[in-house]
Amino acid sequence: MATASVQPSQVLEPDVDDATKSDKPWIVIVWNDPINLMSYVTFVLQKLFGYSLEKATELMLDVHHKGRAVVSNGSRERAEFDVYRLHEHGLWATMEHETL
Amino acid sequence: MGNDGARDIVKINKGPVVRTKHGTFKLDLPKDHCEVLTHLITELRDSLLNTTDNKSLRRLFPTAYHNDAKKDAEYQRFMREELLASRLASIETALTVIGASNELSESEIDAFARSINSLRLVIGTTLDIAESDYGDPSIESRQFDSHETESDEEKLIQSDLYDYLGWLLEWTVGAQSEGL
Repeated sequence: MATASVQPSQVLEPDVDDATKSDKPWIVIVWNDPINLMSYVTFVLQKLFGYSLEKATELMLDVHHKGRAVVSNGSRERAEFDVYRLHEHGLWATMEHETL
Repeated sequence: MGNDGARDIVKINKGPVVRTKHGTFKLDLPKDHCEVLTHLITELRDSLLNTTDNKSLRRLFPTAYHNDAKKDAEYQRFMREELLASRLASIETALTVIGASNELSESEIDAFARSINSLRLVIGTTLDIAESDYGDPSIESRQFDSHETESDEEKLIQSDLYDYLGWLLEWTVGAQSEGL
């Protein structure tokens, strides 16, 4: 069995940037891709997030015309869950800290 | 993003996927279509099970943290296997419902749709489909080139399959959307 010993250890200073970032919500982004059907993307956004047809269509068109759209936000765990569900459905989704 | 005009590719008035008044679904495909789909989906399953690094499969396992490689590696370590298991489960369901005469549940038609979409993603990646390909007459004119190589012929077959899967997915999503 390993025994405890007193060893000098390096103390990690908190990363100020990380601390600041952790207060910010995470956003989930769906990116444009040339393969997924527009109707399929709209349907998936309705199904996963409960958006109305109008809202889901608006987001889909943002993806199509602007290259990306923020489809949800929240804690890191929530964002990872949403990204996973979007990946399950074949959408190209990523997450990042909200910049504003 | 893909063109929604896929329904125009095959002119059939009645779709192959219909939502019943009970909220179930009927999948009505000719026998030869069922055979092709079963073959393609089985191939996809085998590739997922046996291939560790196939470029055409990468689109099925996208990056989650696009600007943080360390966090993404951590995410992939925990979630990739789960995503693979989910894809394989959908594929198994899809293989059982293709050609089945009984009505399908919402989760069964969902697994079917996700499997068809996975196939499109893989074939589309192999074909290197780009946004500009849609509506480009030069793409269609390739079909009439009399000097095709074997590789060109293979691409044309894949291109036809890609279009067919788009048409099928379009009808499937249409039926699913009726229940939202």
